[in-house]
Amino acid sequence: MAEKQLDCTLAAGEHQKARFARLRKDVFEEQRPYAIVQADMPFELFQVMDVPVVSNQWWAAIISAKRLSAYYLDTLNSLGFHEGLCRYCSLAVASTLAKDPERAPWGGLPKPALLCARLTCDCLQRVFGIWAEAFGSEFVFIDNPGATELPPRWWELSRYRWRELFEEHRLKFTVVQLQNLIRVLERVTGRQFQIDRLCDLMERVNRQEEYFEEALQMICSAGRTPVRMHEQVANVMAAQWERGSDWAVEHARAFRDEIRDRIRQGVVACPEERLRLMWVGAGLWHDTDFYTAFEEEFGAVFVWSMYLAFGPDGYIRYGLDDPLLALASRTVSMNEQLHNPPWANEWIVHQAKQHRIDAALVLTPLGTRPAATGNRFIERALEEAGIPVLPVIADMVDARGWDPKAMRRKVAEFLTTRVLSRRQST
Amino acid sequence: MTNPDFTAKPRNMADPIERLTWHYENPAAEAISFAAGGIPVVGITSDTAPWELIRAAGAFPCVINSGNSNYQDINSFMEEGVFEERIRAIFGAAISGDLQHLSLLLIPRTSEQEYKLYLYLREVARQDPKRPIPPVYLYDMLHTRSPESYAYGLERTRRLKKQLEELTGKLADDAALKHAIEESNSARKAIRKLCRLRGQEPRVTGAGALALIGPSYFMNRGEYARLAELAVEMIKDRTPLAGKRLMITGSSLNHQGLHQSLEKHGTVVVAEEDWWGSRSAGNDIADESNDPLKAIFDKYYLDMPSPRLFPVDIADAWFQQASTDGIDGVVFYLPPDDCVAGWDYPRRRHYLDERGIPHLLIREDAMSISKECNGRIEEFVHSIEAGR
Ligand code: SF4
Ligand code: SF4
Repeated sequence: MAEKQLDCTLAAGEHQKARFARLRKDVFEEQRPYAIVQADMPFELFQVMDVPVVSNQWWAAIISAKRLSAYYLDTLNSLGFHEGLCRYCSLAVASTLAKDPERAPWGGLPKPALLCARLTCDCLQRVFGIWAEAFGSEFVFIDNPGATELPPRWWELSRYRWRELFEEHRLKFTVVQLQNLIRVLERVTGRQFQIDRLCDLMERVNRQEEYFEEALQMICSAGRTPVRMHEQVANVMAAQWERGSDWAVEHARAFRDEIRDRIRQGVVACPEERLRLMWVGAGLWHDTDFYTAFEEEFGAVFVWSMYLAFGPDGYIRYGLDDPLLALASRTVSMNEQLHNPPWANEWIVHQAKQHRIDAALVLTPLGTRPAATGNRFIERALEEAGIPVLPVIADMVDARGWDPKAMRRKVAEFLTTRVLSRRQST
Repeated sequence: MTNPDFTAKPRNMADPIERLTWHYENPAAEAISFAAGGIPVVGITSDTAPWELIRAAGAFPCVINSGNSNYQDINSFMEEGVFEERIRAIFGAAISGDLQHLSLLLIPRTSEQEYKLYLYLREVARQDPKRPIPPVYLYDMLHTRSPESYAYGLERTRRLKKQLEELTGKLADDAALKHAIEESNSARKAIRKLCRLRGQEPRVTGAGALALIGPSYFMNRGEYARLAELAVEMIKDRTPLAGKRLMITGSSLNHQGLHQSLEKHGTVVVAEEDWWGSRSAGNDIADESNDPLKAIFDKYYLDMPSPRLFPVDIADAWFQQASTDGIDGVVFYLPPDDCVAGWDYPRRRHYLDERGIPHLLIREDAMSISKECNGRIEEFVHSIEAGR
């Protein structure tokens, strides 16, 4: 495990563990309903209805960090699911199909009341269908209408002019689906949905993301980064999974404050920082040490990933007179914004410039295809902006086939031949 | 994929089988000659695009199947190993200028890869406006079964109608829609007759059947129906073919490679769960309707296959019915680039096991079946013979 420099990071880890222990207790002892949901679902509705959620991707990352991915993926393959199928979304399913709670992190996932996913790819309904059957739980999905109006610089429209950014028919369709989901949540909890509660929550999410934005700006403008990328991720994601909760808003504030204090005190993450790196794609959850492996020799520090940056640009919504519509707009294009042209490439180059990035590593996860689309566009755009790119063909959760030493050598060579040499020549 | 040859013609113009087969092998030929004659041609990338609407608006609809997967520039934009070969080939054709004869490339949301294809083409065109890419249009029909998906798709279909009318300057009024429905229903009728000649006593090989069904995507459907009916007349008196009757399911096949490989071993492929074969026609569009546009939408929403179709019982209905209809064995085709159909495999395998229906899994690209895989096919055929 990579070093943790921030008090906040430790607090986030402790909080997540305690939260999961509480969830198991609530579910087992008090039969409280909870939901397993895909990362891009509108978590806000679950919050408002007091239904705890476990994100599929978070659980996959935990399994992977505990070095259990090979065991579970082998199990999946032995059941007849071939090795070419997606791993990021199916690792957690595999942990259920393995029927081996002794081995599972923290005793494994208990039976959820609901499984929920947005259908952003053709396999998701299959993955979640299999999972729902294995648990004997209900599966609720949100279908995913396609974007056809693709204005440039989406992040300049997303906060105030989101109604223009995400076509009206897509928003309307998504709202109906959110209403369906609300009805299911009402049935499961026996409680009534209150739109005022959603409105309050949306405002709190805005506040949370504003704190993250301040943190991001400080990281951008500091001479050397006060916080490494992997610690940004740990803090941001702990809060995003329960965005808008008191803990999450408070944690975002504490994160911002700790960064501010570090900057005031002149504390930097890596005193030898000479190169600033960007990681494009989901985290490499099975080898997080990778992210600090190039500091000693090259002074190369990872300072950016999508996780912190997407909070403000992707989530903030001003003008909450119709909170459900605003929530639909937060949900409807996440995949395009993060992965697909024209939005992902433009945004990532913009971020790279803002963060004074010297080089980028772009993850092409062949075991997770939709997350691999759009990458060539991103790589080309970065190179055209003068930022050398190393494509990394690897999987975020599957350590099988990942050769840590070889990859570190490859990155070292890239930094030597493409990044440092260029610096010296300019 | 074959490259279009616009100059060659079928050797025997009077032989309907030869003519249809020629069109199967030259999928762009008719589109190119219509375009040369000043008729707007609308290319489509798969089966859930409403053919009748395009036709009623006065354009010529044609599925793109003569792609260019070797075009070197593809790799500058498209990740290797992420898109299936057919989508890469269409992308290659579009960015290389091979689809310049199209007035519009209509991309239905049959699969997620097609949506990405749409986004990629839009972006290449934006970044390089001089590239000869046809205008692209996303027909965003969703395939989940819910009232809101239905309403959304119907509204998108109305939008598409307007778009096509603007393109051609011709109104797709009810009379034109009904005429187009009649025309395509006649093709469907002929295809169903062909499919019946494949069942219990097959009189045509699977590879042969694909070549007779496929041209319905590339030709004027009235003419197609006429030729297909003639072909049916010629085939129906043939002596039934011997050999184990197989069905194929899994990834879609826009070529005959797998059928030929299986039939080399003395089998007959009598059905495939594929819009290029047994599932191309489905039911007729109900033409007694007073709302032909809705009737057309219903057909594509309710009766055409798509990997996005959900829930499972609807997605599996055809497979379950066809695999228990006197088939000797089922072949699951999950090529290396599959990342969707493989999720259905254990469930469907279980369904067959419960009924004692033999099955075989093929994980190679059907265009280049290895010696080892041929050996497994051989063994599979023997095992069926021994078991029955
Ligand atoms: S393709 Fe992507 S979204 Fe779909 S199941 Fe795989 S990892 Fe998940
Ligand atoms: S990899 Fe991309 S698509 Fe998948 S969950 Fe993460 S952000 Fe979403």
